[in-house]
Amino acid sequence: MLPLFMIGWCLHAHEVEVVEVGEGSELKFEVQLIWGTNDKKSPDPKHKPVELEIRKKLEDIPLKWQHYFEVSRKQITVPKGGKAKELLSEKCSIEIKDIEGRKVEVKLFDKHGKAVIEHKQPLPKGELLLVSGNAPDKTAWFIAVKQIK
Amino acid sequence: MNEELQLKVQAYLDGELPAGEGREMADSIARNADARALLAELKNTRGALKAFEAEIKLPESRDFYWSKIEREIGRLEKPHSIEEPAWFAVGLRRIFAPAGALAALLIAAILIFRQTPGFAAGEPESETAFANADAFTYRDYSAGMTLVWLSYPAENGFADFLPSDTLKYE
Repeated sequence: MLPLFMIGWCLHAHEVEVVEVGEGSELKFEVQLIWGTNDKKSPDPKHKPVELEIRKKLEDIPLKWQHYFEVSRKQITVPKGGKAKELLSEKCSIEIKDIEGRKVEVKLFDKHGKAVIEHKQPLPKGELLLVSGNAPDKTAWFIAVKQIK
Repeated sequence: MNEELQLKVQAYLDGELPAGEGREMADSIARNADARALLAELKNTRGALKAFEAEIKLPESRDFYWSKIEREIGRLEKPHSIEEPAWFAVGLRRIFAPAGALAALLIAAILIFRQTPGFAAGEPESETAFANADAFTYRDYSAGMTLVWLSYPAENGFADFLPSDTLKYE
């Protein structure tokens, strides 16, 4: 029979292990603002085709758009257990928060500074989070978030 | 000499045969050499035992003495019963036996579910909250990708009306 205190011990031991998974005192994320369209060329010459890794992942999803353009790319450094906010465009900004090294909280703000979405999930290196929505003329916007450090 | 005759010889010697049968047995023994030899041997044996038998006087009556023996035999023959545990031990067992099983299951569940990165007991893997829009979340575990799609109006504070304005970045 396992004494009940063993449960508490196991929980505590595992909690410590999870918290100590990450190294260093900060996390680094790369955030890309992407535009999805069926047009071959973007009207904005500054836009460039999205990087291959993200394009492949987008193509694996049954989405109706055929072309994806990178509008902007930012690197955001988040202190362990802290948060950081970055402007992605005139229309939106993003805030990333580290939750005990286990999850990240991604918050998007519109041009009025109002939070439109708050999403929490584990985001280890190699995983991609895409927050997206409709844009005019049957196009779409995507914000790709991935941890790079 | 058969076994029956041997027993009758012994019974004759002990005086256990009825009077008529005893006389007949005496005649049979007189005619049978083996029976005579057996009778002689039995007499010798009895005589030897009597000579060496110490005279024991019981400190109590014969019936009481034998009743003591009977009680002792009964006590020794009583099957060993399992000692009844104390009431508090029974109570503790009733509580801790299921609790132990539950603990084992809980630990197993923790160890299994904690394999998922970022999973905490009692906490969903991902949570999404919205200001004023609906959304769905699509998770592709093999690709390591999560898509959160907001059913947000195209003309809004996040993406403006004209395509050129949408996601404008300078």
